[in-house]
Formats: sequence, C-alpha cells, structure tokens
Amino acid sequence: MLTFLARRLFVMVPTLIMISVLVFVIIQLPPGDFLSTYLNELQSQGEAVDPAKIEFLKHQYGLDQPLYVQYFDWAWGLLHGDLGFSFEYNLPVTEVVGDRLWLSLVLNFSTILFIYIVSFPIGIYSATRQYSWGDYGFTLLGFLGLAMPNFLFALVLLYYANVVFGTSIGGLMDPEFINQGWSFAKIMSVVEHLWAPVLVIGTSGTASMIRRLRANLLDELGKQYVVTAHAKGLSPLKVLFKYPLRMALNPFIADIGNILPQVVSGSVLVSVVMSLPTTGPMLLTALQSQDMYLAGSFLMFLALLTVVGMFVSDVLLAWLDPRIRLQGGVGK
Amino acid sequence: MTDILRIKDLKVEFVLPHMRVKAVENVTFRIGAQETVALVGESGSGKSTISQAIMGLLPKAAQITNGSIIFADPDKPGTRVDIAMLDRSGAQMRSIRGGRISMIFQEPMSSLSPLHTIGDQICEAVRLHRKVGNSEARELAKEMLTLVGFADPKRALKTYPFELSGGLRQRAMIAMAMVCRPALLVADEPTTALDVTIQAQILRLIREVQSELKMSVLLITHDLGVVANMADRMVVIYDGRVVESGRTDDVFINPGHAYTQSLLAAVPHFDMGPDERLKPLREIKPKTGSLLALNESEDDPREQTEVPPSLALHPSMASEPVLAVRHLSKSFTQRKGNWFKAEHHSIPAVSDVSLTVNRGECVGLVGESGCGKTTLSKLIMRAMDPDDGSILFRGESGQMTELTGLDEDQLNPYRKRIQFVFQDPFGSLNPRMTVQDIITEPMIIHGVGNSAYHRKMVLELMEVVGLDPRFLSRYPHSFSGGQRQRIGIARALSLKPDLLIFDEPTSALDVSVQAQILNLLKDLQRDLNLTYLFISHNLAVIDYVADRIAVMCAGRIVESAPREQLFRNPLHPYTQALLNAVPFADLDHPLDFNKIMDGKASDPARWPAPFTINRNSDPKMMQFAEDHFVRAERADFTEIAI
Repeated sequence: MLTFLARRLFVMVPTLIMISVLVFVIIQLPPGDFLSTYLNELQSQGEAVDPAKIEFLKHQYGLDQPLYVQYFDWAWGLLHGDLGFSFEYNLPVTEVVGDRLWLSLVLNFSTILFIYIVSFPIGIYSATRQYSWGDYGFTLLGFLGLAMPNFLFALVLLYYANVVFGTSIGGLMDPEFINQGWSFAKIMSVVEHLWAPVLVIGTSGTASMIRRLRANLLDELGKQYVVTAHAKGLSPLKVLFKYPLRMALNPFIADIGNILPQVVSGSVLVSVVMSLPTTGPMLLTALQSQDMYLAGSFLMFLALLTVVGMFVSDVLLAWLDPRIRLQGGVGK
Repeated sequence: MTDILRIKDLKVEFVLPHMRVKAVENVTFRIGAQETVALVGESGSGKSTISQAIMGLLPKAAQITNGSIIFADPDKPGTRVDIAMLDRSGAQMRSIRGGRISMIFQEPMSSLSPLHTIGDQICEAVRLHRKVGNSEARELAKEMLTLVGFADPKRALKTYPFELSGGLRQRAMIAMAMVCRPALLVADEPTTALDVTIQAQILRLIREVQSELKMSVLLITHDLGVVANMADRMVVIYDGRVVESGRTDDVFINPGHAYTQSLLAAVPHFDMGPDERLKPLREIKPKTGSLLALNESEDDPREQTEVPPSLALHPSMASEPVLAVRHLSKSFTQRKGNWFKAEHHSIPAVSDVSLTVNRGECVGLVGESGCGKTTLSKLIMRAMDPDDGSILFRGESGQMTELTGLDEDQLNPYRKRIQFVFQDPFGSLNPRMTVQDIITEPMIIHGVGNSAYHRKMVLELMEVVGLDPRFLSRYPHSFSGGQRQRIGIARALSLKPDLLIFDEPTSALDVSVQAQILNLLKDLQRDLNLTYLFISHNLAVIDYVADRIAVMCAGRIVESAPREQLFRNPLHPYTQALLNAVPFADLDHPLDFNKIMDGKASDPARWPAPFTINRNSDPKMMQFAEDHFVRAERADFTEIAI
C-alpha cells in the first residue's frame, strides 16, 4: 500500500511538468502578447505611445526574453508560490485572485455537497422503488434538470426573484460588503446568497447523479450476494446500505478527479449571468486579453486539482474496495 | 409430528400488470427431522421458486396464492409457523430466515460480497440471530470454519471471498449458513458450479455437517448422480408440479412417472454398451443433405471403406492424423492464486502437451477448471501464441503443416479447417443477427461459394441439426439453450471443417437437452465422418462421445487411453481420484466418501512416487499398454511421445 502511494505520488510530478509546458505553450500560441494587445487598444483610442516606454515595459516583464527563459521564470516562480504578475490588474496574481478563489471554493464545495445530499436519497429511492410513481416523478424532474441549460435557469430564477419577490439574487453577497474586510455580517450575507447559484449549478449535476446512482444500484440489487444477505435474515434497509449501496459507490469515488476541476471551471457562464465574484469569469477575461501569468496560474491550478483529485479517488478506491487493494496488477 | 417442514398444495403465481403466470401449483411434500430430501427438476421447472417460497425470498412480483408451508421448529416443540402467511420482510420471518432455515446457493463466486471479509459476513449472521458479543461471534465463526475444513480459520476470517478458490468459497458459504445451527438447510444446486472432485468434497461436507448439527437438508438439484448419493427421499418437479415423490431407492429402481423414467434414461453413465444410446425427451433426427456429404467423400475417398472401430483406435494403423500437437507449452504471468500473499509468478497454463487427433475420431479432453484445457484449445485455434512446441495440422493440400510461427495471412486457410463450438450458447451468438446471417457469416468471411450456395447450405445445415428452416429469419433470443447450441454447431459445420473443437458444449444445458445434443453429435460424426476434439469436465459425457480420452491436470496430460481402457484400468492417481469423485445416478455405485482426497488429487507435487511432479522430477509420458500412456517416472519404461 505504501509503495503504491509513493509510486502514485511520484507519477504526479512528471504529469504536472508536462501540463505546465502545455499550458505555457497554449497561452503563447496566439500571435502577440499582452503588451501588443494593450498598445493596439491605446493606439485605437488615438493616444501616442512612447517606444522607449514600451521597450522598458517589455524588458521589465521579461517579454523580450526567449520563450524558454520565460517558461523557466514562470515555473520557478510557481514552485515558490509566486504565481506571477497580472498585467491587466497591475497586481500580483495572488492578490488579484485573492477572495475570488475562496469564494469559488465555498460555492463549489456547497454545490458538490448539495448534489450528494439531494441525489443520494432520491437515487436510492428510485432504485428500490423502480417503476413506481415516485420513481417516474423524479425521473421527469431529473430529465428537466438535465435538459435545461444552467444559464437559462439562472436567468429565469433572476427574473422571477425580481418580478415576484422584488429582490435581486445576483452576486454572492449584498453590494455593501463588496471590497470590505471579512466580518460575521459579510459571512451571513454570503450564506444568504449562496442558495441560488448552488441550486442553479447543482441541478444538472444532481439529475445526472440520480440517474447514475439509480442505474448502478439497480445493477447491484439483482446480484446474488444481495439475496445471500437477505437469506441471513438481515432487515431490508441494512442489506441495502451494507451491500449493494457500498458496491454502487465505486463509480462516484472514481469520479472525484473529474468533479473537482469541473465545478471550478464549469460554472463560468452562470457566474457571468449571475455576476458572481468567482474565478470563472476572471479566467475567461484573462485568456481574452492574453494576461499570460494570470491565465497560466489558473490553468495550472485546474490541472493540479485534477491530478490531486485523481490521486484522492485512487486512494479512496483502494481503501474502500479490497479487490483493487489486493488484486491490483493481475496480468493476463 | 416429526416433520420439520410440511408443504401442502403450494401455488405460487407471478402477478404481472396484465397477466398472472403460474410458477408452481399443487406442490405437496414434507421434510422429516434429519432427513435429506432432493427436489429434482430441470431449469424452469419451478424448483427454485419453491426454495424461495420456503425462505420468504420470492421476488416482489411472485405471490403465494394457495397452500401452506408449515415449519415446526424442533427447538421450540409444539410451535408451528405457516411461512406462507408471514410478511416476507417482517421480524418473525427474518428470525427464521438465516436463523432456523438457512440457504446456500449455486454460485460461490457471486454469492458472497466481495467487499467484506469472510469473518465480517459470518459474524454478521451470528450476531443477527444470537445475543452474543463481537469476540464471541468471532469464536463461533472460527469454530464453524474449522468444521467446514479451513486449515487456518483465524486467517480465513480476514480473507476476502475473491482470495479463495470456488470450493473454499462454497465452504465459507456453508459455514455462514451453518453458524446459527439451523434446523433446515436449503441447498440450491450447491455443487453445480464446482469441479467433480470439489463437488465430492462439498457433498461429503454437507453430510458431515448434517449429522454433526442434526439438521434436515432440502437439496435442490438437476443432477441425478448427486440425488442418488445424498437424498433419503426425492421429489421430482416438472413444469411447476410434483410428478413423483418417494424414497430415493424406490424412485430409482421403479420410476412411476414417464418424466422420471426419461430423466433417468437421459443421464450418461459409465457402464453403457458401445451401441447404447441416451434417450432424450425429444430425439433429433438429423438429415444429411448432398452438400455436406458430397464434399466429404470427394475429399477423402478412403473414408468410405469401413474401418473397424477397434482399428480406428490405433494411431499407427488408423487413418492419417488431422492434428498432431507436440510438447506444447504456454505460461502466463500472474499473481499466484495463493491465499494470503501476492507474488508474481509465471504460471504454466499448458506444459508439454502432446496430442494426436486422427480423422474420423473423437478425442475427449477431460480435466477440471483451470487445468488448461481451454488454453490448449485456444492454442490449437492459434487464438494465442504458444511459448514452445509445435502444432501440426493437415490442411487442404493433405500435407501436415506447422501452424506455429505462421502469421495471420498464412493462417487464414487453416482457420476455416478448424471450427469451434463454445460453452455458452447465450454469449456465443450475436443477438443482433438472424440465424441465417449467423450461419452464413463464416462462408462470407472465407469467401466460400456464392449466395445461391449459401442459401442451399444454410437450409441443409438447419436440417442437419434438426431445426425448422422456417426459423432462419429469427433472432437467437427466441431459441432455447439447446436450440442455440445447435445453431452454433450448424455455424461450425458451415465451412465443412476438418476438425471441430467443442469446449464444454453441454455443460450449460439440462440433462435431457444434453442427451439430445450428444446424440446429435454422435450421429453427425458417423454420417459426415467428422473429427472432434471434445473438451469437458464431465467424465460421463466424455465417456459417451469419445473414442480416446486424455486426462489433463495442472496444464499437463497425465494419462491418455482408449475409452474402455481408461475406465477399466485407470493408472494415474489423478484419473482414479476423478473417477472416484463422480456421483453415479445409480444406487449400486455409491460415492465412497472415504476415498475422496481433500485437494490432494489435483496437486501434482502430492501425487505418490512415480507420478510426482515437482522441482526435482518432471516425468514424461510412458507407454503402459498399446495406446495407453501415463505420465510417470519409471526406469523400465522407454519414453515415447503419443
């Protein structure tokens, strides 16, 4: 087990290095850089630009260096926790991201929690009462949730909240708290605002989770070991939780690696529509304006989440399922 | 009343939204104290439904619409419970289920949860029905594991089911069912999925545990051999009704009902005369058409002159060999199937196998699961590459050709000369193809004939295997297992192969269907002069179809001989163990449980002196009599490869 963990961790290092190279190359692929975009913008507004100043800026940002030197500077910085400097905001990336990262994490963690809490009971109910009215009802709701685009749901929700209740549910806190330090009132305000985006982002995830849990559980319920458990005289509920449900969990654990980056990046559209102060919209603008360090750090962060998520799910799977733990590496 | 269970007029129906389907009706029988009652019937006869009704484990759609199941618990004299009346998941039913009536199932591979240790699953059963603490439960579980034959019960508690072999899993399952000392054990096909030697061990174990715990057993099975050896009384079920019941010896000696008679006549047994045929419920009369027969005679004019059967047995004098396998070896890299340790080993799946199949003969290959017989067939088919050895095959040119080392293109002409019939009639036919397409496909792949020829051939093949040509546009799902297997045979015949390999073709079928298929194969072989390599774990089946038999164990052929000789004079300890372990459907040949070796029989290192195979000695095949070879180390024998 320990060697497995060590090997697994060791493999993560070259993976991350590969990803960082790819990220850097992709960001550099479009012609020009942040400065040239910036210059074009200034010139189109009719402002004169001093060539000496541009040279100075280029030199200062290291943009006149060859590509690989820029990469090593950036990668070296990453290793030391220095995420680089955002051109657009004229601030270090850490400061630009700042609260947004935490708010995104809070929002997305709540969303995952919401998905699990809602979908598990419903999925179990649907599987054990297959083809009942309840099952059909949840199936209908689930398909609605799956079919409706998130941003549309967000718009509908915003509209009705405004028309019917006269409140604005956009944002993640009341306007007066923006750019203020953290206080208890601010936290409460975040909590109050959280439900709407969680609901919006979570619906499709919940719906697909219900469907998958139902399908997995239905597969397991017909298995022989479930009959064995019943034959022992266990109560139906105990049988369900101890045997088939535990078996049906594997795909969900295996999915953690995908869920983590998905919830961080996947809510961009909703965040734009609901003007949420999360990282999604920021990544979008950073990519548009070729703010390379900001975008690069974001992408690396997502990559790190994926790799770590995969690691966590592998470890959890090995821990939960003795077949993976003890039978790994059977070669035919 | 000394009866533990009395079932009276039981009727179970499946209630579906728009109809009711009767599963069993008018079922009446009783189980006395410490008695073994066998419930005999073929698949779909309703015997499992009866066991589910007793356990309160019927599926949701099934309802007991009539009758009673009276359970009289010997621990609580005087009380009688009608199980048919109880709520299936209510507290009273749950305390009986697992506590007073336990059940073991057919599939030891899937009936234990793979995620929980054996100890966890057994202790759970104890703690459900007895007020004991955790450590006490473990003690009880350990005690029971010792009783069912685990060498190291303490470690067994911590193992997961997938770390155990099939036989050990079934032992663990029995321990789990026994741990609460039930009054009645319902054993639903407990040994069907196991090898014969393991089956004999498990049957002996059930007997021992039964007398130790003084319980009754309801044995559900389709195997009359098991019934003859285990049951005091038997109940024969056909189409959801009891057609006959009585003392086992009475029923065997004097079967009253026509169904019981035909069931007994359909089981292959060892003392059958050379011309004696099995009698299936429905016989197939194969009609050989012109296309198949014509070609055979053109190919091989010599075959038309009758060769006396006794001569056909001698490779030197009989017709030419079609297939000659010489010293074939193949190993896999695998984690050793060891109990507690994970070690990577190179496991020899097939080692030093030599085998000759002559034209027009049927060679039987018998061995237990994991002995390498399927690997051998895959090597012959060149679905895998051997590590060592040679495979000589007589192709169209009439020359023996070395198949090893040929690449895909060079192999192609030989592929159509060797055809395969698989074990699983359900998995081996594409459910999205019609029968017509399935049988035509090999001809299209190999570019044989035009579409007119295909049509004619398919019609003829359907006649040959006894299927109505009107079925051609149907899909496989509308056929029974036996019919599907016949489609598989028709497909294999469509290219008029020189060699047909059957890998357990009847092990998934009921006895009467098995008899039907075996008779069909025999008739086809006679009429079309086909050559078979017949792989099976069932000695009686092999005995019925094969001319020569090779016994395989642990990747090696340990003995090979003409059929009568092998059964009359088995020399190798493994062959003897195999023969001793087969339960005969005959009361005059009871299993000798004392002769059963616990797992020693299939371990080459533990065979006695001249036969031992271990690091120091690797015996070769020795000739004992004409055409009778044994793998042994004996100085006075000269080494001759078969």
